[in-house]
Amino acid sequence: MAPNPAADCSKQVLLRLDAVGKAFGALTVLDGINLAMKAGEVVAIIGPSGSGKSTLLRCINQIEPPTSGRVEVGGVTIEVGRKEPSRKELMQIRRSVGMVFQSFNLFPHLTVLRNVSLAQERVMKRSRAAADAVSMQLLSRVGLAEKANQYPSRCSGGQQQRIAIARALALEPQLMLFDEPTSALDPELGLEVLAVMRELAEGGMTMIIVTHEMHFAENVSDRVIVMADGRVVEEGPSRQLMRSPQTDRAARFLKAVKDR
Amino acid sequence: MIGAFFTTIAQGIPWTIALTVSAFATGALLGLPLCMMLMSPARPLRWLARLLVLTLRSVPPIVWLFFIFFGIGSGLLEISPFQAAWIGLGLITAANMAEIYRGAFAAIHPGQREAAIALGLPGRYRFMDVVAPQLLRIALPSCGTYAIGLLKDTAISSTIGVNEIAFEAYHLSQRTFHSLDVFAVAGLLYVLISLPMAWIAHWADRSMRRRLAR
Repeated sequence: MAPNPAADCSKQVLLRLDAVGKAFGALTVLDGINLAMKAGEVVAIIGPSGSGKSTLLRCINQIEPPTSGRVEVGGVTIEVGRKEPSRKELMQIRRSVGMVFQSFNLFPHLTVLRNVSLAQERVMKRSRAAADAVSMQLLSRVGLAEKANQYPSRCSGGQQQRIAIARALALEPQLMLFDEPTSALDPELGLEVLAVMRELAEGGMTMIIVTHEMHFAENVSDRVIVMADGRVVEEGPSRQLMRSPQTDRAARFLKAVKDR
Repeated sequence: MIGAFFTTIAQGIPWTIALTVSAFATGALLGLPLCMMLMSPARPLRWLARLLVLTLRSVPPIVWLFFIFFGIGSGLLEISPFQAAWIGLGLITAANMAEIYRGAFAAIHPGQREAAIALGLPGRYRFMDVVAPQLLRIALPSCGTYAIGLLKDTAISSTIGVNEIAFEAYHLSQRTFHSLDVFAVAGLLYVLISLPMAWIAHWADRSMRRRLAR
């Protein structure tokens, strides 16, 4: 099929990483990562533990500041060594990038509704009523409106993760980062979270998903990136890469996953 | 006769309570910046805080009160017995509260901070909305226990002349020679004040635990 230049131009680049690196002292965790994503793309990052997948996500929203390279996201460019990012720039990045964690990290002292409303009030300066109205919509969308006035401790892991997704969506992010969102869940509860994520992807949300769910990576994401030892070892269209990896390292990882 | 003892010794109750409350409030407040210093990335600040905590906690309270009242209070500054006891017990409480807070900070899951940052919450809201309520919840049982301990420690202020329960009891026993009855009444009064404190701490802890249990 011939590429359609018009369609390509309409989709702006949302995220660009140039030679992003992260070192803790002598330990290099990320080594020269390049990545560009257009709006609406879904990228899955797979690879063995300790390969730097989570750190990469944290470098994008600057929870972990990278130690080299350039990050361009949400209209802000941060280049290590040029100047420290301003507070305003960091805020802008975090508003445009939502994040979902492996351990949910809901606020245990707040009701489900307050969990979703808090940042809307504090960051977007919405009134409490307006924030709560948006939160209720989002909770309905993840199927948990009836939990609004409960505390997170009364919710199952899968429910908590769906609430965490609603909380991240409340800031209307342009990009969603998922850090092993189902790894702390048993397989059945994982499914309900994956269903919400699939819906988001189908709705056109730009997403990066660090995951061990190989089916999900293959079927939902447009592109798969395989990482090992802080580097990208292979990158390609999901189905193609998952079925016939070109590098030994990626093939070895995929074989290990399949043989389990 | 016991009734008469009771009314005499009970005159010390307001002072015992006033000293407990003011020393605890002072310590709970000053403990926060001290805790920040203990956890500061700046080494000199951290060492200074550690030195303060170590000194405040390893010198016995009675020595502190003598030092402040008879030492500083004679000549350097005009200090009433109550003020001296307030300052001394308040500072000791600050050191202990700083350690309690530090333990509570460590008990908050690091993911809470990460989630708050990822949501773009500015620092003051990260503290006010996310950290402080959880800190309070975790530190509360230790604070309750400490406050009851402090109530009993206020008895040493009788040695510098604060006319609280132990002071009244001592002087009554000197006048009447009924030491056994007098100090039994004094002990009973301490129990009676401790009980509601324990109830309040327990109730507050339970009502918060019900909501926050993970």
